[in-house]
Amino acid sequence: MEFNVSMRSRRQEVQRFAVFALIPLAIFALVLVVPFVRGVYFTFTDWDGFDVTKVVGFDNYAAVFQDQPFWSSLTLTLAYVGASLVLVNVVAFGLALLVTIPLRGVGALRTTFFIPNLIGGVILGLIWQFLFGQALPVLAESSGIPIFQDNWLLDTNTAFWAMVIVTVWQMSGYMMIIYVTALMSIEPELLEASLIDGTNALQTLVYMKLPLMAQAFTISLFLTMRNAFMGYDLNLALTGGNPYRTTELISMHVFKEAFGFGNFASGQTQAVIMFVVISIAAITQVIVSKRFEIER
Amino acid sequence: MAVIRNRKAVAAGFTLTAVVAATMLAGCTTGSSSSAACEKTTDISWLGTIKVEIQDQFTAAIDEYNATNTDCVNVSIIESPQDQPFLQTVTPMYEAGKAPTIMTALQEIPDLADKVMDWTGQPLAELAADGTLDVANIDGKQAGIPITAEAFGLLYNKAVLDAAGVDPDAIATRSDLEDAFAAVADSGVAPVHFSGLWWSLGAHFTNIYHTDAADTVEGRLAILDELKAGDKDLLSDPVFTNWLDTFDLLKANSIDTATIADTDYDLGVENLAVGDAGFWFMGNWAEPNLLTTTPDGDFGIMPVPASDKAGDYGNDSISVGVPFYAMIDAEQATQEQQDAAVKVLTWFLTTPEGQAFWSGPVEDGGMNFIPVYDGFTVQPSTFMAQKIAEYIAAGKTLQWVNSAYPSGLQEVYGASAQKYYDGVIDRATFAAELEAAWVQ
Repeated sequence: MEFNVSMRSRRQEVQRFAVFALIPLAIFALVLVVPFVRGVYFTFTDWDGFDVTKVVGFDNYAAVFQDQPFWSSLTLTLAYVGASLVLVNVVAFGLALLVTIPLRGVGALRTTFFIPNLIGGVILGLIWQFLFGQALPVLAESSGIPIFQDNWLLDTNTAFWAMVIVTVWQMSGYMMIIYVTALMSIEPELLEASLIDGTNALQTLVYMKLPLMAQAFTISLFLTMRNAFMGYDLNLALTGGNPYRTTELISMHVFKEAFGFGNFASGQTQAVIMFVVISIAAITQVIVSKRFEIER
Repeated sequence: MAVIRNRKAVAAGFTLTAVVAATMLAGCTTGSSSSAACEKTTDISWLGTIKVEIQDQFTAAIDEYNATNTDCVNVSIIESPQDQPFLQTVTPMYEAGKAPTIMTALQEIPDLADKVMDWTGQPLAELAADGTLDVANIDGKQAGIPITAEAFGLLYNKAVLDAAGVDPDAIATRSDLEDAFAAVADSGVAPVHFSGLWWSLGAHFTNIYHTDAADTVEGRLAILDELKAGDKDLLSDPVFTNWLDTFDLLKANSIDTATIADTDYDLGVENLAVGDAGFWFMGNWAEPNLLTTTPDGDFGIMPVPASDKAGDYGNDSISVGVPFYAMIDAEQATQEQQDAAVKVLTWFLTTPEGQAFWSGPVEDGGMNFIPVYDGFTVQPSTFMAQKIAEYIAAGKTLQWVNSAYPSGLQEVYGASAQKYYDGVIDRATFAAELEAAWVQ
């Protein structure tokens, strides 16, 4: 009898495991692992989007390392990641501090700041295309502020900053929520203790709040970085890589290499290199920011 | 194909309602049945939004064929998204084992040549006009047959030129063109609208250089080979510098410093149609748009004179070419399906009913294609179509060397040409960028 019982519970466990883990695992393997492995395999072949006729070793990698447009696109992407990483988080943290002030109406403010995140990248791009192209130049003319007089999307440098601005506008509301949660989860007695010890507001922020919410920074920085590295929809809808194909972020570059130019193997190779670059950046970032976290 | 796709994307604002209507139509007509006499019906698919402007007509034509044909064939239309590259549409379909039976493309033909049916010896291929098959002949295999011909050059508003006393047929050199621009300007109208659209500059305007560069096909292709090998010095080629002079002339006389924002196409239509500009560098695909804006207007087409000597090759001719070819899948389609696909195209190109859909006027439900096959009884009748027919009849046509650009190259060309257009780079840098585009 006892044997039977243990058998049954074992079987139940396996069943439970199957229901909760096996199905998601299978889906994960099917839609991520298999295509990924296949994708890596393609980089060692002459894949033309349809068939593979031969294995070419590291030829694709060698070719990509000499591909000037690929590296300039990667450099542009790194600049974009850097700029949006800093600006999104500074703005988001600032907003978080603002909306945690116990005042009437902060709830409405929180919602307002979060709304841009609910608008998809493509629609966002179209809205801002209108703003940069038509609305802001008209406003600039009538108000005499020259900065937005020319369409920002028609010049390489300003188009880059236009992408950063829209990214900040879209992402900071989301990151703000993470920071708000972290700020509110700090135990009030700790802050009270520091107040009794005589800290001022700035000291409370730097020595108490920041260390206690380091985890939130780890998450936010990671999310911002990942989104910026893989940004495509905003890039497509806002600048489309223009002017003169000088604002193509790495995702768009890879896409065009494969589907526009029909160079599927080298496009896939670029995608794999992009994966490696992002992995290194993300792991480094997480390791570094983990150091600032405090075990509680 | 990328050119055409993007052009249509640009024109999409105009035809949005048409697209919506077409989508609804397509929704209603799925599962339409063939003639009852058939024991077995062969189902084939046509990857076809051939041109978004005529999607309604195309859908209606296929419905008519499905309802009336005695070939025991049923065609279903797979609408292809207008703003995505052809290879993006078609590679997943092949991967999934659901390749379309009929496809239309241009610069991607070499990518697909080993998967499609060989048209060599087929009656339709024999009927195709001389020279229209070359581009789709890949290493001796006839991968596609032409759908239609399109032409580009300097479009003009006849009313504006008449008022300014300009005879477009008398313009033989760049100086003549400059005088014509001056005359139009004197009449109080801007001489020209010169669009900064990447595909117009990158594919069509650069073709003026490449097609004028030599007076034989071999000579022109040899220049492409030299570019590929990195041996071509463009600035030392007088045809190239002459072409740049014409580029500058158009730029200097353009109605306004046009932006490189994509809204430009509509603006060009508007400017030429209402007579705010006398000329526009574009092609005959714009004629329906122009006639929509100004229904009683006459819009003609003339060459782009790229040198100052009247007899120089190209100065008296317009660029005429096939914008897309019909290919039939041979990898996943059965022999039966391939035969059925040939039958559909035969119906379109050889029967009176099919031809009426193919080349009849848009307002009568036709697709207004300029026919490039023998035995067509239906001919397009608009002013520009007649002009093009005159050029073709006189043999004054130029090759679309841009059909021979590799996939994607026209986009690199377009980006560089936009920089030159905007005055961001000088001639030397422009030439260097065009040269670099080939060796990358």
